[in-house]
Amino acid sequence: MKKVVFPALLMASIITGCSKNDDGADTVANFNTAKTNAITDFVNIVAIPAYTELKTKGDALNNSIIALNASTTDANLTAAKNAWKDMRQTWERSEGFLLGPVEDGEYDPDTDTWPVNFNDMNNLLATAQPLGTAANIEALGSRALKGYHPIEYMLWGQNGNKKAADFTARQKEYLAGLSLHLKSQADALFTSWIPAGGNYANEILKAGAGSTVYAKKQDAFLAICGALTDICGEVGDGKMKEPFDAAATVPSEGAQLVESPFSGNSLTDFKNNIQGAFNSYQGKFNSDGTGLQDLVKIKNSALNLEIEQKFNAAINSFSNITVPFEQAISSQRTQCQATMTAINNLANTLDTKLKPFIIQYITD
Amino acid sequence: MIKFRIQKAYFFTTIICLPIILIMCRKADTFNEKEYDPRLSGGAATVFDETSKAFGHSIDGMNANDQHAHGVGDKAIEQTFVTAPAPVNSGLGPVFSNVSCVSCHHNDGKGTPTAGFVNSSLLFRLSLPGTADSHIGVVPVPGFGTQLQDLATFGTTPEAKVTISYTSQTFTFPDGETASLRTPIYNILNPYQPLPANYLFSPRMAPPFFGLGLLQNIPEATILSYADENDANGDGISGRPNYVWDPSLGKTMIGRFGMKANVATILTQVAGAYQQDMGVTNYIFPTESSFGQPQYDGRTDDPELPDSILNGATFYIKSLAVPARRNVTDPVVLQGEQIFKQINCASCHIPTMQTGVDVTFPQISNQRIHAYTDLLLHDMGPALADNRPDFLATGSEWKTPALWGIGLFEKTNGTPFYLHDGRARTITEAILWHGGEAQMAKNKFVQLSSADRNALISFIKSL
Repeated sequence: MKKVVFPALLMASIITGCSKNDDGADTVANFNTAKTNAITDFVNIVAIPAYTELKTKGDALNNSIIALNASTTDANLTAAKNAWKDMRQTWERSEGFLLGPVEDGEYDPDTDTWPVNFNDMNNLLATAQPLGTAANIEALGSRALKGYHPIEYMLWGQNGNKKAADFTARQKEYLAGLSLHLKSQADALFTSWIPAGGNYANEILKAGAGSTVYAKKQDAFLAICGALTDICGEVGDGKMKEPFDAAATVPSEGAQLVESPFSGNSLTDFKNNIQGAFNSYQGKFNSDGTGLQDLVKIKNSALNLEIEQKFNAAINSFSNITVPFEQAISSQRTQCQATMTAINNLANTLDTKLKPFIIQYITD
Repeated sequence: MIKFRIQKAYFFTTIICLPIILIMCRKADTFNEKEYDPRLSGGAATVFDETSKAFGHSIDGMNANDQHAHGVGDKAIEQTFVTAPAPVNSGLGPVFSNVSCVSCHHNDGKGTPTAGFVNSSLLFRLSLPGTADSHIGVVPVPGFGTQLQDLATFGTTPEAKVTISYTSQTFTFPDGETASLRTPIYNILNPYQPLPANYLFSPRMAPPFFGLGLLQNIPEATILSYADENDANGDGISGRPNYVWDPSLGKTMIGRFGMKANVATILTQVAGAYQQDMGVTNYIFPTESSFGQPQYDGRTDDPELPDSILNGATFYIKSLAVPARRNVTDPVVLQGEQIFKQINCASCHIPTMQTGVDVTFPQISNQRIHAYTDLLLHDMGPALADNRPDFLATGSEWKTPALWGIGLFEKTNGTPFYLHDGRARTITEAILWHGGEAQMAKNKFVQLSSADRNALISFIKSL
């Protein structure tokens, strides 16, 4: 019996080994193909689909606010809030790859500046200055008066319990202008990537072959990798840590530092940031393509497993925090600390292992 | 026999010890040039990154405490300030030039030479002619101070608005190649009260942050060794230090920072930016820039910035690493490096210096660095002159800017802009604006063949 089992096991392992060699063997050809595909898929599977979705959700948010302003009911308010959260999910996931136009064109600070300038906003609403168009909002100049968070403030109110009956005519006008402005920003960000517009996609596709931004393919991969590390740092060492540290002494002070506090959406934002980074590493957004992950798999599958495991650990750890973040920094400090530790571990692996991997193996 | 043995022992001891003594005497800067890695622009404080984030890395090997302080500063420079009173980042304005550090210093670097927009990186110095207070260095304009704040919180009047336009002229090289040089024209619109007719005005582009810890750590004697105020060596280049009052240390010191070397320490530079650029008072400058003006908010919340944030931001800037050079073995780059020396660029843009000792910070101590500056003031001629003195600097003198990292501006900034007001869009344009003490070097540049000019530019872009 033993004699039969052994060759069978051996056979099975040979077959498994062969099938692995067929698609992931460490050959020059395989690695080069994966490299090219990872560049193409970062553009066509990750970035452009993400910005397309952001544009679509910008339209949806704007439509929901038009509906809310036309008929200010609690049902329409809930629909607008959901549309905001929906767009926010795509935006936060796209923050997993903050490179190119979103940075160079400053779409990030133009739409996602925190904190909101309450005093200027209240003073503004007390005037008769026109606010109902994107141009009106742009003309305000200040970033703290436009983008996601002023919309959030208008929809939820400072204490998060705003009702349809609480809306004033001025607030509706401001909200209409804000959502039109945000939609125009999402449209412009999308256009900056496509051939009909700024065609930033081409800078990445031509990495190492005439791109003015990425003289080598390595540069493009380092930029993608750097964006992963940056967003982990921003969440684990910034957005979460600052309120957490402040809450250690004065809980109310910590809560004031939390981003997206009106909607109570902070933890979802954070988790989507890390999920977006994981997507970028894997080369996927809504569909799955070739990513940095596939390059790492070919040369160092143990490193890929480690990175995957750390991404999963970080993302899953959020489910241990069961109350809104502004409360959790006081009442669930152990869980918050565990999540920050998981994210920082991930960032450390990306910086000390993935980045050197790229420098070592992607030299063209 | 015993005597012989003793003599022999002395002899061998000497033979053995001599090399050790010689080695110990050898200073770090006396190794053969080829034994150094030319990519290490900041010595141990160098980082290898060629991406748009190249200017934003901390120096390697810092202890946990320093890493924490760096992290505090990293967050601080991104913070958007809002109108007081507010629970978070309170204290913007009432008048200001921008709302956060990164709004001007994009990617820890330079920015865009525009005014009044959210991403504008120009600010405007103002003063009057006359004898300056030795602690301020310039004569403030009554009602405006020493800087024109062109933005204000909602409902407050900015001091004025500034529009910028350019006139272009074509420069033609002897070989027929051309470059377009644009001269900026600034118009001050709608001042909230009339400006005196004789005001002095000077625009400033936000400079990159990195490497400043190293520059702060260059011994004063080293800087002075390059000074030649009376041009004793007759090369047409003088170079002299600025001496300025430093409010953080309460004494007059050699100036190192700012376009006219009008600031001595990073702390004062950062504190001044918070107070003048953002209207955020702090423990170095606890009075609002608008004090005594109708825009003054009269609030008793000064200093608005927590001390730990000012110290964190200061340490962040002190501990930013210098990006490594690229393409250092490229023959064209090497040829350009020779030309850089031959046509005397290197007389002011000093390629190599040694930092001093900062006992709290080994990575910036005793480092052989390549900043390509002498930190001295030079007369740059009438075309670049702002005609606005600052401490000892005259209206046509500017501090030699460091050139390290200049080849990465295209990545960190999208479109690169050069010189104090961002008028130059290419390195060639920037060189062509050189005059005064740099006139001879510029003339030699103009006379170079196209290939040699390109080699020189390739070298500069490798920095």
